[in-house]
Amino acid sequence: MPLDTSTTYPLTRLRLDGRRWNELRLLQAQISTNPASSGSSYLSMGNTAIMCSVHGPAEGRRGEASGAAGSAGAIVEVDVNVAGFASVDRRRKAGGSDKQSSRIATTLRAAFQSHLHTYLYPHSTISIHVSVLSADGSLLAAAINACTLALVDAGIPMPGLLTGCTSGMSGSASTPRDPRNDELDPLLDLSLPEEQELPFLTVGTTTCVPVGENHMEDEEEETKVAVLNMDSKVHFTYIETMLAVGMDGCNQIRELLEGVIKGSNRG
Amino acid sequence: MSNQRQASSASQTPHLSPAELSYLYTSLSLPKSPIRPDGRSPTQFRPLTAESNILPGTNGSARIGFADGTQAIVGVKAEVEKTVLSTDTLASSEVGEGEDSTSTSAAASGHGSWVQMSIEIPGFRDDDALPVFLSEMMRESLVGSVADGGGDGDGDVTMAGGLKGRLVINKRWHWRLYIDVLLLSQPLSYPLPLLSLTTHLALLSTKLPKLKSQGEEDPFFDDDWEVAEYLYPRSSNLKAAGNASQHVRPPVTLLVISVGENVIFDPSREEIAFLPSPLLRDTEAGNLKLLSIRTVDPPSRLTQPAVPNSENVNMLGATAPTEDIAVLNPATGEEEVPGVWRPRRGGVKRSVIANMIKTVLKKGGVGEEVLEGLEGVEVE
Repeated sequence: MPLDTSTTYPLTRLRLDGRRWNELRLLQAQISTNPASSGSSYLSMGNTAIMCSVHGPAEGRRGEASGAAGSAGAIVEVDVNVAGFASVDRRRKAGGSDKQSSRIATTLRAAFQSHLHTYLYPHSTISIHVSVLSADGSLLAAAINACTLALVDAGIPMPGLLTGCTSGMSGSASTPRDPRNDELDPLLDLSLPEEQELPFLTVGTTTCVPVGENHMEDEEEETKVAVLNMDSKVHFTYIETMLAVGMDGCNQIRELLEGVIKGSNRG
Repeated sequence: MSNQRQASSASQTPHLSPAELSYLYTSLSLPKSPIRPDGRSPTQFRPLTAESNILPGTNGSARIGFADGTQAIVGVKAEVEKTVLSTDTLASSEVGEGEDSTSTSAAASGHGSWVQMSIEIPGFRDDDALPVFLSEMMRESLVGSVADGGGDGDGDVTMAGGLKGRLVINKRWHWRLYIDVLLLSQPLSYPLPLLSLTTHLALLSTKLPKLKSQGEEDPFFDDDWEVAEYLYPRSSNLKAAGNASQHVRPPVTLLVISVGENVIFDPSREEIAFLPSPLLRDTEAGNLKLLSIRTVDPPSRLTQPAVPNSENVNMLGATAPTEDIAVLNPATGEEEVPGVWRPRRGGVKRSVIANMIKTVLKKGGVGEEVLEGLEGVEVE
């Protein structure tokens, strides 16, 4: 039996690891794992495991704090380090950092720079250090979730939890979608083998705090897309489905993370 | 972080005033009963939390965290690799058996380069001095351990030739071991003991798949992870008295400092700042053997000396001249005023080093205590 999702999925409607299309992997998380930092977290989604620590807000380095950018609010610095033992085959990166980790770092920096209430901390730096201990797909999404937890642990104000999730399609999805004969299913929270063969996107959403009198009556919180990243090719008619599934996954993850944050105070 | 990049082999000096340095030095060098800033006894280690086999994707892994928040994670990965040396050796051995003894022995006893080690410390590049120095120092003792025949018991047959020998599969194939050390926080004190203890624990939990092929066949492994064998073979029941100390264990590097006549283990951040001569030593477990001793330049050498009152312009006439009389220090041969900090120079006395080694190696000593403590960590 071939071991890839695109051939077996139409027959069984089950993915490689036995999940249905809309199921997340097991998500486990912990906050305050490292007493030496302002905030820290450990998060695992399936076999992807990430540790994250936050230092600051602290006085920035002399060179940057004097710049115009520092005076408006805190600067977010992100450093991503994928451990050599994280993937199946050990990979030695040449000269400090590789492309994948610097892309994740750039995305995280952009996301959290605009997400956090940085204006409260002028002339300061919030530095986030992400260590990927084990990589099995959805790295960016897991890193977003781990950073959110660590930032909450550090007590840095933000309008809502920023959570990330991946979604993909169960086939190559390169031709326009046929609404009458829809044989491709969207998939939630992809693992590494799925990521390598299927088109997928990473979406990060956040809820905003209700402002104004009308919003107080709304039952549902409004979710906003804060991060959207896609590296693979897919026909644009599928984007909407993937986005909807991804945002639904983000909401599920948000509930899980809220449980982690609330549960951590009991001890 | 740019200032940290410049830090050399000695870690950064915490900012302590000469008065503080002098106070710490005096309390630590009290004869027979040194007083440490955190109230520990000289041989007591800082409390730590340890766990092993935390990463399912590695052959072996461990995490150790000290109470001050410094944490390290080590992952060990093994790959099968073709032994380059032996291909021509095999051919030549059929022709003439006399001349190939050197290269055959390399294929049979293993090679040091089969163990690769890399250390990542936040704020440092891979090729900075500190990570390179630390990893080479740890790799050296790892590879060099049990070089002189570890197979002195029946249980140790598989471990003959030490770690290098264990990595040999057959004449044409061998394991390559990658040890990746991840320091998760800024190095508050000299990170070597933490890294070494974590590596020790990770290596203890490292398993290699069971070999199914025999002799010189291309290696073929049992895909059942349950029957995988430990890299460092362990006796079936560790609790059996006497047996536990027999099997080979990976070496551990301990950081020891000497202050005056005193020997102090596992120095904390403040203590290391002024240690007159820190000594690193590797112990080889098993029958507890001393592998190597290495001295590290202490950060205290870079500190500013204090000015005695008699030479201080601001204090002119304020103190009676009898208060600070210079005393000739018998150890250094320099004139010193008690209570006034002066960076220590010079080496360590032989007796102090002997005392250090004795404290570690004696039955029930520090070395045994550390190794047994680490063994107690649940490996399964």
